[in-house]
Amino acid sequence: MKQLFSTLVISLLFSMTSCLEIIDDLSLNNDGTGTFKYAVNLSASKVKINSYLALDSLDGKKVPSISEVSKQIEELIDELCTMDGISDVTFDSNYSDYIFKLKLDFASISELEKAIKALVRNRSKGQVDRELDHEWLTYSGLSLNRSIPRMEFERTKNLKKNEIAELKKGSYTSITRFENEVARFDNKSAIIAKNKKAVMVRTNPYSLIHETDLLDNTIYLRESTDNE
Amino acid sequence: MKLLITSVFLIGCALVFSQRSEDLLPKDAVSVFSIDNVNLLQKVSLDDLLKYEFMEEVQQELFDGSTAGKTLRDAGIDFDQRINFFQGSGKRFKVTGFTFGLENRDQLFEVFDDFQPAKSNYDGVDFYESYFNRIAIKGKSAILFRVQGHSEHVERVTDSIWYARGNDYPWYEYEVEEWLRDSDSEKERVFIGSETEENTNSPNDSNDLPTADEDPAVKTYFELRDSVQLDYHNYCVQRLCDELFVRNESLILEDSRFAEQLLHQSDGIFYLDIERGVDNISDMKFLHLHYPSLTSNFEELYRGNVILGDFTILDNSIELALDVEYGEKLGSIYNELTNAKFDKNVLKYIHKNNNAFFTQTINMRKAYEQAYEIIMPLMSKSETQFAFDALTLELLDAIVDKDAIFGVYQGSMFGAYNGLQTIKTKKIIFDYDEDTFEYSEIEVEAEQDMAVFVMGFSTKRSDVPEKVLDRLAKIHPKMTKMDNYWLMEDIILGVAPMYLLLKKDLFILTNDFELATNHPNGYGSLAISKREAKKARKSGALYGHIDAGKSLENLPRGIFSEYENEIIDVIRGKSGMMEITSSKAQETTTSFNISYQFEGDYENSGTYFLDLINSLYVITK
Repeated sequence: MKQLFSTLVISLLFSMTSCLEIIDDLSLNNDGTGTFKYAVNLSASKVKINSYLALDSLDGKKVPSISEVSKQIEELIDELCTMDGISDVTFDSNYSDYIFKLKLDFASISELEKAIKALVRNRSKGQVDRELDHEWLTYSGLSLNRSIPRMEFERTKNLKKNEIAELKKGSYTSITRFENEVARFDNKSAIIAKNKKAVMVRTNPYSLIHETDLLDNTIYLRESTDNE
Repeated sequence: MKLLITSVFLIGCALVFSQRSEDLLPKDAVSVFSIDNVNLLQKVSLDDLLKYEFMEEVQQELFDGSTAGKTLRDAGIDFDQRINFFQGSGKRFKVTGFTFGLENRDQLFEVFDDFQPAKSNYDGVDFYESYFNRIAIKGKSAILFRVQGHSEHVERVTDSIWYARGNDYPWYEYEVEEWLRDSDSEKERVFIGSETEENTNSPNDSNDLPTADEDPAVKTYFELRDSVQLDYHNYCVQRLCDELFVRNESLILEDSRFAEQLLHQSDGIFYLDIERGVDNISDMKFLHLHYPSLTSNFEELYRGNVILGDFTILDNSIELALDVEYGEKLGSIYNELTNAKFDKNVLKYIHKNNNAFFTQTINMRKAYEQAYEIIMPLMSKSETQFAFDALTLELLDAIVDKDAIFGVYQGSMFGAYNGLQTIKTKKIIFDYDEDTFEYSEIEVEAEQDMAVFVMGFSTKRSDVPEKVLDRLAKIHPKMTKMDNYWLMEDIILGVAPMYLLLKKDLFILTNDFELATNHPNGYGSLAISKREAKKARKSGALYGHIDAGKSLENLPRGIFSEYENEIIDVIRGKSGMMEITSSKAQETTTSFNISYQFEGDYENSGTYFLDLINSLYVITK
C-alpha cells in the first residue's frame, strides 16, 4: 500500500504539462566566418524532468542520471572541438532550470555543416545518412540559403492529444544575423529586426515536426556600404 | 424401499464417479483461479479472455482469428461446471492452462480449429494438439494445457550426450567474448532466432553455431539440444497425463486445503501455494545449490504458507476475502508485528475530500524482537558466512539503542492523496530585443498542477527529529523554522515546498500549505467522516480506500513497468471505490478483504471479475 501510494504521488507529479524552447542563432560575417549558438530551454518542464529523473525507467528504458547526461554532452563537445574549421566551443549547462547553451565559431558555413553532419553520423550509426544528404546551408556572399534536416519522426505519428498540446506550447526560433543589412527574404513567416541585420523565423516543435521546411529561408543581402 | 436404495446408490455413484473440471487440475498447480459462477462469463468474448495475462502461456496459438467474435458460450463450454485457470511448476516442468466442462465438442473445435486429433494411450481420454498446446477430454470435462520442461534439465542432458560423444566444450572462449562484445550484433539476433518455434523461413547460418563434426549428418550442439528438448517435452506431457489419467493424482486430492476451499459458497475461489511457489523460483534454486543449509532452515519458515480466497459478486460490487495461512514460527512474527494500537490522531490529518488514503498499524519493536528470536538461530546454524552475519547482527543488537530507534519510528503510518492543486512556480523564458533580436533570460511566474499529499508516522520520541530539523534549519539555506512547522523550499521536483510538522506524536510531511498553516492540529470538521474513521480504526494492520475514478485516471502509462500497468489496469478507466481491510495476524492466519464497488450493471461483473483475477495473477505469479 505504501509503495502504491508513493507511486501514485510521483506519477501524478510527473503527468503535468510542459513545453520546450529552442533557439538556433547563426551569425555570419562578410568573410564567411561566423558564430553558431544553439540554446535549449526546458525550465518550463522542470517538474516533468525532475519526475523523470526520480524514476529508474520509462517505457521500459533506463532513465539516465544527470551525471550520465553531462558525460554524454562532454563527449559531444570534445568531438566537436576536433572538427576542422570549428573553434572556441563552449557549453553552458544549468541543471537547476535545465537550460543548455552551445556556442562555437566556424571558419566557413560549409565547415559548420560538415562538422554537424559528421557528429550526427557518428552518433546515429548510419541510421540517418539519407537525411544528411542534402545541403542545409549555402552562402554565396550575397545570399544565404538555410534549412534544417528532413528527418522523419516516426514517434510523432502516434502522439496523444495532450502530447500534441505540449509540443504546440513550445517554440523553435531560428535567427540569422549578418554584418550587412538584409535586402529581402523568401520565407513569409520571417520577420526582420529593426536594425535590418537579423532575420527571425518562429514556429512550434509540433508544426516543425510535420513540416520540416517551415524554417527554410533564402536571405538576400545588400552589398556592403564600402562597395556602395 | 429397494427402488429407493437403488436410486440413492446410483445417484451416489454418479456424484462420486462423475468427472468434474476441477478433478483435472494437475497436482503441480501452484496457483488456481476457479470460477464457479461461470454464467457471469457467458458474454465475455473469447478474444477478450485470451488477452488476459493469466492466459499468456496458452494464448499464442489460440489467438489466431478463429476466436474472433466468439464467446465462451459459442465454444461449447458447459456452464454448469467450473472453469479453473492454473499455473504451476514441479520438479521437472512448468505447466499452465485451464480446465473446463464440455457441452459440445464440435463447437469447441470450431473455435479452436488449429487443434488436431492425436493418439491417446489412455482409456476414455481423447487428445488433441496444436503446437505445444494439448487438449485432453475425459467424459464431460477437459483440460487445455501446455508444459515446458525445465531448461536446466534439458541443458544437463544435452551436455552429457555432447561430451559422451567425444565433443569439446561447445562455447569456445573467443565466441563467448565476441558475443558479449557485440551483444546487439547480428549474431545475437541469429542466436535468438534459433530458439523460436517457427523460424523456418530464414534458417540460421550453421557457420555461426559450434559444430560437432565436419560430417553434416552429425548434429550440432543446438540441434542436439532441440532434440533433447523435444524428447523431454514429450516425456513431461506423458508424465503429466500419467499422473492425471492413470494414477489419479490431482491437486484436489493432493491438497485438502484446496479441496475444502472448493466447497465454499462463493462465485469463485483463489489458491496460491507460497511454499511450493517459493521453492520453484530460480533464485531459490541458486540458493539451494550454494547454501543448502540456509535455504532448508528458511524453508521451514514457509512451511504451510498458502493464500486461499473467495470471490463473491454482489449487485455492483465484487468482494474478495483472502486468508493467508502460515506456520507457527512465521505466524508469531506477524502476530507481534500487528500487535499494535491504532493511533487515532492520524485520522485528523486525512481530509474528507481525499482521493485515496491508507493507514497501517504495526509494531516494529515487537516484530523485531520476535524475528530476532526466530531468525538468529536459523542463521547461526547455517553456512559459516551467514553464521558470521548472525554474529554482526548480535553485536549490533547489543550495542544499538533500540528504545531510541523504535521510539522514533514505531511502524504505524498513514498517507493521503488529496488530488491536484495549482501552485505558483517560476520559469525562465528568452526575451528578445526587437532592434537586434539579441535575447536574454528573464524569470517569470508560472503555474503547475501539483498532487497534494500528506504522509506521516507515529513517534514517541519527537525530540529526536525535532533536534535534527532545528539544526538543519540553521545550516540549510532552503530550510526555515516557522511557528508550527519547518519549511523546505523548492524541495519537491525543484519547484514546490514541503512542510514538516511534529504534532500529537506524529511526524508529518505534506505539500498542503493549508494544512501546515491553518490546520496544524488536524483538519477538524474537514477530516474524514466518523463512519470512515471507524472503518479504518476497526481494520487490523491495514486499511486502504481508493476512489478509482479520481485517483488513477491521469496516471501516465509510460512511467510504469508492464507489470505495474497490468495491476493498475484493473481499475484504470473505471469509476468506483476500492476498500482494503485486514485482520490482526492470528497464530497461523491473517485475513484480508478487498471490496470493489463499481458503477454499472450486473452484466459488467464478468469483465470486472476477470480484471480482478488477472490483477491477482500478475501480483502472485
